[in-house]
Amino acid sequence: MTKEEKGMLNGEYGPGIQRSMELLVKLGEAFGAERMVMAQSAHIHCAVSLDLLSELTESATQCRVTTTTHANADPNVLDPIGCKRIGIPESYDLYEFIHGGPWSKVVDIFKRLGYLLTNTCIPFYVGNLPKMGDVISWSGSSGVVTANSMFSASGSRDSVPANVATSVTGRVPSIGLTIKENRYAQVLVELDRLDLENFTNADYGALGYYIGGKTGSKNVVINGLPKTLTLEQFRYIASPMPVSGATSICHVVGVTPEARTLDEALGGGKPEEVITVGRDQIKEAVDKLTTAHSNEVDLVKFGCPHCSIIELRNIASLLRGKKVHSNVRLLVATGKQVYTLAEVMGYVDIIKKAGGVFTDCCLGSQDPFNTIGPKLGVKIAATNSARSAHYSARTSGGKIKLLYGSMKQCIDSAITGKWMTT
Amino acid sequence: MKLKGHKINGGRVEGEAIVCNDAFSFLGDFDPTTGNCLIKSPELEGKSMIDKILVCPTGKGSSRGPLNTYRAMKLKKSPKAIVCIEAEPVLAAAAMVANMPMVDRLDKNPLEVIKTGDWVKVDGDDGIVEVIHSGNQSPFHQ
Repeated sequence: MTKEEKGMLNGEYGPGIQRSMELLVKLGEAFGAERMVMAQSAHIHCAVSLDLLSELTESATQCRVTTTTHANADPNVLDPIGCKRIGIPESYDLYEFIHGGPWSKVVDIFKRLGYLLTNTCIPFYVGNLPKMGDVISWSGSSGVVTANSMFSASGSRDSVPANVATSVTGRVPSIGLTIKENRYAQVLVELDRLDLENFTNADYGALGYYIGGKTGSKNVVINGLPKTLTLEQFRYIASPMPVSGATSICHVVGVTPEARTLDEALGGGKPEEVITVGRDQIKEAVDKLTTAHSNEVDLVKFGCPHCSIIELRNIASLLRGKKVHSNVRLLVATGKQVYTLAEVMGYVDIIKKAGGVFTDCCLGSQDPFNTIGPKLGVKIAATNSARSAHYSARTSGGKIKLLYGSMKQCIDSAITGKWMTT
Repeated sequence: MKLKGHKINGGRVEGEAIVCNDAFSFLGDFDPTTGNCLIKSPELEGKSMIDKILVCPTGKGSSRGPLNTYRAMKLKKSPKAIVCIEAEPVLAAAAMVANMPMVDRLDKNPLEVIKTGDWVKVDGDDGIVEVIHSGNQSPFHQ
């Protein structure tokens, strides 16, 4: 450890930084780290408890790395009137007992430390964009797999206390994906005659969902995707991988900065396993995600992970001049920075006029409708997000059934109230 | 029986084992307000984990798991220690923030030699787990 790191551990920088460094050192020792490495970015879950946060940051004046906050504060913030109309309770505090104190006090500490209150799962769209080789400690498995795979930043499976500890110390123990040898792909995915030109984001989501389910925590490389693959399309591939599996890195040959060739992704070695994905496998994933046996849609949701500005533009263009069916709730989740831009562009107005409602909460594991939906008579939800579909089916205890398809299919069903298969 | 393993988190405690055969997450598999296990199996669902020694293969799931052990510790509803086959960083942090000793990589599979109800001594400092079988559940006294 450097002199400065030893100083942090000895309490020279105050009790919070000392406690944080102790945690990172313990983690490093437990997993055989040889040293601490400098971190460049942290991203913190809003569900962090007030007492633990206070303990880890006591007398720290400012975070040492760019730090943003994750989704999941209060679903009503962006659109309180709309949220009330579709039945989200006003005093919604998902984490009251976990916080161990009021959310406003958590916010006070976040602000004191200079955490950027982005409240979104897409930190890279709102000012927390790591470059190749940057070491990150992030909450949110979809952000971590995206940062590792699209930017070649180094983020390992980490816990919320470790995220906080890194934000105030600027350090990460050198374990997991901070080590080059641990990043090489173990499983090779080959694509077999997929019609990629006409692939929708939902098709990409099915691809990721299938791969995650077959590869567990192994590092993956996908061969055969076009070099023009967008960050957006990749987010749809990546975000379901840590929920059907436990993926942290998924190289895309020719797209991932550190995987210019297949050989580079594999570190010059041979894959442990080769998986082939064709139309049958995509269908298998779609069938697994589709749990509804009726086509009467109650809820349509976009934004897991949070929508980009391009997605909001597409939703607005499909909804322009239309009305959401009176039996259907349409929920759109995004970060408030993206929302502000969509407001400037007029997309918010179009979507709201059509009957859509905005939120910046999570529509994955913490989708409020997973708990309140069944009480409000929401039985069937439609989405283009495999991650959201997976979580809804489970966290509602099977009470919400899912329909899975493209954004166009979802919007059509929001307008007509009926799901049409293509 | 003494098992030699590897330290994840220090400290020495003893208590009754609760064995879970699948990867464990403190978010989803555990209720920090009651200290009860939420795993849907006849042996585990609703069973108290307060002051127990959790024995499991490894961790899984949300990065928020450690927030639940911390909350449980504050409410005095936390398990006492964790013994597992192979630790991962989220389960390890769950032990660390709640001051639970934790040991992994033992010379015998803990899932095979420890049964729910056994009395177990965990020495996190030296990475040693001692299993003292309870009479009627001991594989040696059947």
